[in-house]
Amino acid sequence: MKKLWLVGLIFVLIMSSALAACGPAAPKTIKIGHLVALTGPNATWGQSEANAVNMAVAKINEAGGVNGMQIEIIAYDSRADRLEAVNVVKRMVEQDKVVAIIGPGQSGVANAVREVNNSAKVPLIATTATNPTVTVAEDGSVVPYTFRVCFIDPFQGTVAGQFAIKDLSAKTAAVLYDVGDEYSQFLGQYFTEAFMKGGGTVVANEAFRSGELDFRAQLGKIKSGNPDVLFIPTMQKEAALAAKQARDLGITAVLLGGDGWGSPDIFELSANTIEGGYYVNIAAMEDPAIQDFLAAYRAKYNADPVMPNPVLGYDAVMWLADALTRTKGEGGEALKAALEATKDLQVLTGKLTIDPATHNPLNKPAVIQQCKNGSFTYVKTFVTTE
Amino acid sequence: MIFQTIITGISIGSIYALMAVGYSLVFSVLNFSNFAHGAVITLGAYIAWMLMVSVFKLPFLPALLLSMLGAGLIALLVERTAYSTLRHRKAPSLFLMISAMGVAIALQNVLYATIGANLYALPPIFTQDTINIGTASISRMDIFAFVFSILAIGLLTVVLNYTRVGTAIRAASHDAEMVSVLGVNLDVLVAVLFLLAGSLGGMAGVFMGVKYMVYPSMGWITNKAYIGAVIGGLGSLPGAVVGGILLGLLEALVSVTTIGNVALSTFRDVFSFGILVLLLIFRPRGLFGRHVEEKL
Repeated sequence: MKKLWLVGLIFVLIMSSALAACGPAAPKTIKIGHLVALTGPNATWGQSEANAVNMAVAKINEAGGVNGMQIEIIAYDSRADRLEAVNVVKRMVEQDKVVAIIGPGQSGVANAVREVNNSAKVPLIATTATNPTVTVAEDGSVVPYTFRVCFIDPFQGTVAGQFAIKDLSAKTAAVLYDVGDEYSQFLGQYFTEAFMKGGGTVVANEAFRSGELDFRAQLGKIKSGNPDVLFIPTMQKEAALAAKQARDLGITAVLLGGDGWGSPDIFELSANTIEGGYYVNIAAMEDPAIQDFLAAYRAKYNADPVMPNPVLGYDAVMWLADALTRTKGEGGEALKAALEATKDLQVLTGKLTIDPATHNPLNKPAVIQQCKNGSFTYVKTFVTTE
Repeated sequence: MIFQTIITGISIGSIYALMAVGYSLVFSVLNFSNFAHGAVITLGAYIAWMLMVSVFKLPFLPALLLSMLGAGLIALLVERTAYSTLRHRKAPSLFLMISAMGVAIALQNVLYATIGANLYALPPIFTQDTINIGTASISRMDIFAFVFSILAIGLLTVVLNYTRVGTAIRAASHDAEMVSVLGVNLDVLVAVLFLLAGSLGGMAGVFMGVKYMVYPSMGWITNKAYIGAVIGGLGSLPGAVVGGILLGLLEALVSVTTIGNVALSTFRDVFSFGILVLLLIFRPRGLFGRHVEEKL
């Protein structure tokens, strides 16, 4: 009797699964992985990024999804740890069968998972990984299935150079950079190139070594060139010291920097000599383009987003949804080609065009901020030109 | 511009000199390079930060004196915990130097673990900071630091030459064992030595905090001061002062020199540390040093 009951149950199960297979297909979903640091030291940004990604996906799904298919986000915590990230990307690719991955925010993590997502031909869009090697390998070849939605670090130098020419009407410039730091060196180089291309003259290109505290010898040399702007592409520590010492020596040039400046203690550390200086940033809360997003975010999560990850996560979802619409939900090579072919796509932070040769955004809008009255204020969104 | 460079060099050099004196003072008697000196300087700056910014709002001068005292006591404490046992065991001076390196790293990590890696600024002493002389600008803080450093070193020279303790220290720097046999308590003498070296280090730390900023790895700059002490001849006080100022001048001059298209500023440390190596090979006594031998 007992056995008969069991046979009956199995029969019902088989029948029901067979029926399900024959019946009308359930609405298909597109699975997208989100590799994000939800715990650990990067969690503040990671959680905010996860919130923004979910908001973007909810908005797309409410509007009918991608060609009628709903997007499903499968988020895994990377803890910003390379080993952990490799494990979860394997799980996304092998078990969850995601068509694409959003994240990570760290260049080191993106490079660590490169082998996994590229061999599986699953496109990955890094959010805030700004190191050039993430999409262009050391040998100069583009990493086929890795993209990014942010600009690369050195691009800030291009922005600063063009901003100095166009908006500050500078004719002469000087650069003080850290020769022991890749970020600083590249920003300085790109600045010099952009500034000279725009018709300006770089009167002094002075360097110091990481860990140095006194730049007055170099600044003395810069002073004799009497530049209109002084570009200091360093972290806030060196920028503060250089600003203080430059003003001590009577240098009146407008100070310019990169996103390394964006730490509020720069005012105190520089004894407010940084006042009036401009720096390039990835995103700013005051950017008029993102005010609707901010309001929606605040309404939903009752907190401010932690910049810049959320806006870039949001942009990544918009970019991916657009590419998936064009491939009709197909992943792999078709999706890679669609992502590469993205041109003038309106995203949150501006228009997105991808350079197929580098998988980086072209002329990505950057934010110019000014150190004013002891805090950072939004000046404008700057779009570079070739 | 050359005038500006010289002024800059002297002002950097005077801080090197103040730190170099601390190295030389300890070396003159104990015959080892006290690499924990950098950590003592850093702690001196942190004491000043607590006194002037974070806990109390003391004015500069009392904060400076208390920081000097605090740094002196820390140097003394380091001696008692890390060196005195080795000293009594008559361990080779290499052991003391290794112990000093351990102390330096340990103290720096105590700062990371307790106060953290944040950067702090000490309030400026002068509101209007620069004086213009012709085309050159000198900051008042630099003049102040220079005068104070020279005064402190002068005072130290008076102590060493005209007091009983000073006489004992000078005697010990020639032959510590003999001094001990003659009835001088070496432990007390070494304690005074570290108190003096530590307070000068504390002073250097406070000046650095005002001129630059306060952070856990700021003691790194003492590597330069050490080179200054080697240039002058380790163990010689006038040597430390001259060596420190010379190194500051040399670095400033190298920084503004261009050969062909290559700006030498990126080679500054190649010069500084290259000099250290060359001196140790060809003239280990430096400019003013005496013949070096084991003393304790």
